[in-house]
Amino acid sequence: MQDEIQEIEAAALAAIKSARDEQELDGARVAFLGKKGRLTGASAGMKNLSKEDKPVIGQLLNAARSAITAALDAKRAGLQDAADRAALAGLDLTLPGRPAHPGGLHPLTRLRDRAVQICRRLGFALAEGPEIETEFHCFDALNTPPEHPARNEKDTFYFDSGKLLRTHTSTVQIRTMEGEAPPVRIIAPGSAYRRDEIDATHLSVFNQLEGLYVDTDVNVGDLKGTLEFFYRALFGEDTEVRFRPHFFPFTEPSFEIDIKLHVKGQAPKWIEVAGCGMVDPAVFESICASRGDDAYHPDKVTGFAFGMGLDRLAMIQWGIRDIRLLIENDARFLRQFA
Amino acid sequence: MLISKNWLQEHVDLAGLGNGEIDDILTFAGVEVEGITEQGVSSDLVVVAEVRQSEPHPNADRLSVCQVDAGEADLRQIVCGAKNYKVGDKVPCALPGASLPAGFTIGETKMRGVESRGMLCSATELGLGTDGSGLMILPADWQTGKPLHEFVENDTIFEIEVTPNRPDLLSHFGMAREVAALTGRELKRPDIPPVETAPAGDAVSVDGQETCPFYTAVKIAGVNVGPSPEWLQQKLEAIGLRPINSVVDITNFVLHELGQPLHAFDAAKISGGIKVRMAADGEQFAALDEETYELTSADCVISDQAGTALALGGVMGGLDSGVVESTTDVILESAWFVPANIRRTARRLILHSDSSYRFERGVDPQGVVPASALAAKLIVEIAGGALSSPTFAAGSPPVLTGTVRLDDDRLHQLTGKSISLDDANAALARLGLIDTGFGQWTVPSYRLDLQRHIDLAEEVVRVAGLDAIPARLQATAAAPNATDARYDLDLDLKKQLAALGFFEAQTIKLIADAQLRDALPLKPLQDGDLIRVSLPLSEDHGVLRPSLAPGLLATAARNARHGAAAVRFFEAGRCFRNAGGGKATDLENDSLGILLGGAAVPASWTGKSPAPADAFALKGIIEALLPRHAVQFSPLDSGPFLVAAQVQADGKPVGVFAQLAPSRARELDLDFPVYLAELDLAALRTLRGAPADVEDLPQFPGSSRDAALEAPAGLANAEIEQAVRKLNEPLLVSASCFDVFSDPTGEKLPVDRKSIAWSFHYRAADRTLKSEEVDAAHQKMLQHLEKSLPVTFR
Repeated sequence: MQDEIQEIEAAALAAIKSARDEQELDGARVAFLGKKGRLTGASAGMKNLSKEDKPVIGQLLNAARSAITAALDAKRAGLQDAADRAALAGLDLTLPGRPAHPGGLHPLTRLRDRAVQICRRLGFALAEGPEIETEFHCFDALNTPPEHPARNEKDTFYFDSGKLLRTHTSTVQIRTMEGEAPPVRIIAPGSAYRRDEIDATHLSVFNQLEGLYVDTDVNVGDLKGTLEFFYRALFGEDTEVRFRPHFFPFTEPSFEIDIKLHVKGQAPKWIEVAGCGMVDPAVFESICASRGDDAYHPDKVTGFAFGMGLDRLAMIQWGIRDIRLLIENDARFLRQFA
Repeated sequence: MLISKNWLQEHVDLAGLGNGEIDDILTFAGVEVEGITEQGVSSDLVVVAEVRQSEPHPNADRLSVCQVDAGEADLRQIVCGAKNYKVGDKVPCALPGASLPAGFTIGETKMRGVESRGMLCSATELGLGTDGSGLMILPADWQTGKPLHEFVENDTIFEIEVTPNRPDLLSHFGMAREVAALTGRELKRPDIPPVETAPAGDAVSVDGQETCPFYTAVKIAGVNVGPSPEWLQQKLEAIGLRPINSVVDITNFVLHELGQPLHAFDAAKISGGIKVRMAADGEQFAALDEETYELTSADCVISDQAGTALALGGVMGGLDSGVVESTTDVILESAWFVPANIRRTARRLILHSDSSYRFERGVDPQGVVPASALAAKLIVEIAGGALSSPTFAAGSPPVLTGTVRLDDDRLHQLTGKSISLDDANAALARLGLIDTGFGQWTVPSYRLDLQRHIDLAEEVVRVAGLDAIPARLQATAAAPNATDARYDLDLDLKKQLAALGFFEAQTIKLIADAQLRDALPLKPLQDGDLIRVSLPLSEDHGVLRPSLAPGLLATAARNARHGAAAVRFFEAGRCFRNAGGGKATDLENDSLGILLGGAAVPASWTGKSPAPADAFALKGIIEALLPRHAVQFSPLDSGPFLVAAQVQADGKPVGVFAQLAPSRARELDLDFPVYLAELDLAALRTLRGAPADVEDLPQFPGSSRDAALEAPAGLANAEIEQAVRKLNEPLLVSASCFDVFSDPTGEKLPVDRKSIAWSFHYRAADRTLKSEEVDAAHQKMLQHLEKSLPVTFR
């Protein structure tokens, strides 16, 4: 019996070794370990053995079964591995990937967010206001007299109701100060409207970022420091920023801000990016009248305000030559920002 | 406004200052130089030349080969394209090395194989006018070979933007005064004879003092009107004005010299004295520009005693009352009009002139009489004749400036103490303000903008420059607010849609009426909801968008025309409609619009023509935006769309969905189904906030059971959902449809029936469920469904 077991084991291992695929391997398993398999048959002979022989032969049978099982497992793993490799033979990894739908944020959203994050670093909170505005919030409260050219029907969209589409986001300065006592430190990104024909450099609906800081001791140095920080954070540490005196009805002194633009192959040039200034006392007076208190009395508070065109900043940032690209939403354009 | 450098130099010495330096001095004082144009050439290399010979170019029909005498030993061969000259004409010749105003330098070249050693020039090419049609033909007596600048003065023209607060700069003398103050150079005043005015008496009467508080008139008799002398014509032409006749030119000259608009009447056209009055409503006025204007009682006219309107006060002269060649007696008007009235008139009539431009900004009240005196003097000098009346004056010049205090505490606060009081005082003194002690300053009559402390402080900062003030940067803590939160939520939403394969669009908020048929507003539009601007730029931009769909569809159409196989766009932004009520939120609301159509996945070598996306693609996107909420579409009247539905989250409306009518899609060149959704952004912000608490992960496994329901074809899946929910089975954790089958042939299933396969997942939180427990729960579910719905199980 001992010899028979050894012979069965040797035959089984040989059959396993020569199996060429999983089917042949399974055939070998059935032939030796199956219900009618040879080793199973040999085990059946156990019942005829003496009490003394039973444990010895039993051990031998178990050892043979373990060896055959281990060989089967090893061979099966080897065959599967080979089949897996064969299945991938000829795989050309240089073929293009399965494309996903492209998507992305509009460049103005990207730029606006960068501007917002820079201002938030300095402690500016966001503010907003309606786009359909009253003449009071758009002009009167901003020290713009009734006959001022900006109030012309040729330049501003009016409604039959007498309301208008805000010509600047400076309206949010007024809305904020009406609702909140000083100190205020806000930025307001939003749309503004002017009756400009749409061309390569003009939109009738455009995007601005307004800023306002009012406290007990805000000076021209704060205005300068804040906006220099802003443009350097946006366009790089080496960005040159200059302030040119200008005139706006709602700030005094007022400035326009230029940054030096470096375009490869062109002489550097200064280009205007924003208007700013110290809040005119007349604006504070009208806020006091509107609030019915003296929280913003010009003897108590000072402040600065700024407004910049985000479309223009986007054009500078990415060298966009025609502003209309920003409203046409051509995927071939948008894709470049994805 | 155009300023001639030659003219400016008559009032302030600009020696040693280049154009760039003048630009900087003005720009940093708040006077923006928008352009600098060279007139004429200063180069010695542009000379007078005589054309000696002109032959056709052998290789080009339009060109000629000229031999010109440029005062050199030999004739010079130059190829020329002009036709307007003849042999013997004198023309300007730019020799190799000459730089022309247009910014290029002349060299020796070959043109179509023929040598050309220089260039014959047109007036435009030399910055000497607008005639570029041919060569500039020079007078025959100009000496050949001499530089052109010996005959034609060159000049530099500054194009300047004067801000509305600085009308005092709207003249050459005014600008010189500013340059003198900024540079410390001496100001040279024009030579103006002193004049005593006489009470107007009957000669001038003013009804309408509130519009014209000060009016002067002087008569000059026996003039001989003709062309102006060369110097006067040249000055006017330099700043782009057309010389007319000596008297008119003198009034224009004085306007640009001193900033005071004048008007000269032909005395023969005036019957009796001058009468300043308000117009009658409906009065017709024929102006110099040959247009007739209808006036109102808010307009001021200058008339005669007979009542005929001779001029629209401060705006424009009349068609028939001006000075012409035959005029012998002139009445010269110099007056001061109230800015707001002039602005109203000019704006209403859309009639703007150099005169109205200055009056509406405010001219120097003390400059009215000197301007009259200068013009009268020049008329007598140039056109002859003599003063035949005193200068009659009605009213008096208004006093608009006074004494203003410079508050040193406030100045130091404003500048962070970086500008000393001495420097501030010096700056004001240079600007012509007079220190009357104790910080009080008397403001000159021409500086109408200096009324308050801050106006003086602004002058100090302007003159000192911002470089003098150190930058300061202080950050402060900003408490989060609702606007910040909205901004962040919206940006998260946009980023998610971008990651889901959508491009963010930003479309123009003013749309065309024709686009309104594409609108998919959150609530149907009622009469009166649309908000229109009164005076649109064009009919393409007349209505504020009530919905984002029209802009997104235009975007899709544009991209499809460029060959896009799929269009996937979203826009988050404001929509407008009049919902009644007076609050701003009754007019404006934020929406999210999503548009999807075309290839469900992009074509590639793995799939060359992918199927077009269907409605469930867009529904899936909305589900992805609201992961913790049950999104459902509830059918609506489709209106102009093929299909429309209300979008609900947990049963509450959050927006609308639609499939574009295929006929409209075809119009827009969209040859695949197009789906749109418009969602209430405010609702999305609320629903998309972070969860209140997380749920523990399950500790025990659950079991699934599937069921195939056979139902009438018209049974909506939502009805099954509802029935499942209604049972409220405690062990059920989720259930959803995973297959829908119908057979149009009727072989496997009657055509009016469909089979819907659902999977139910059961689990208990505290133990592993036994198979029998799951079966029991599932049987209960199936019985419940069979009882409450017209379904059977297969």
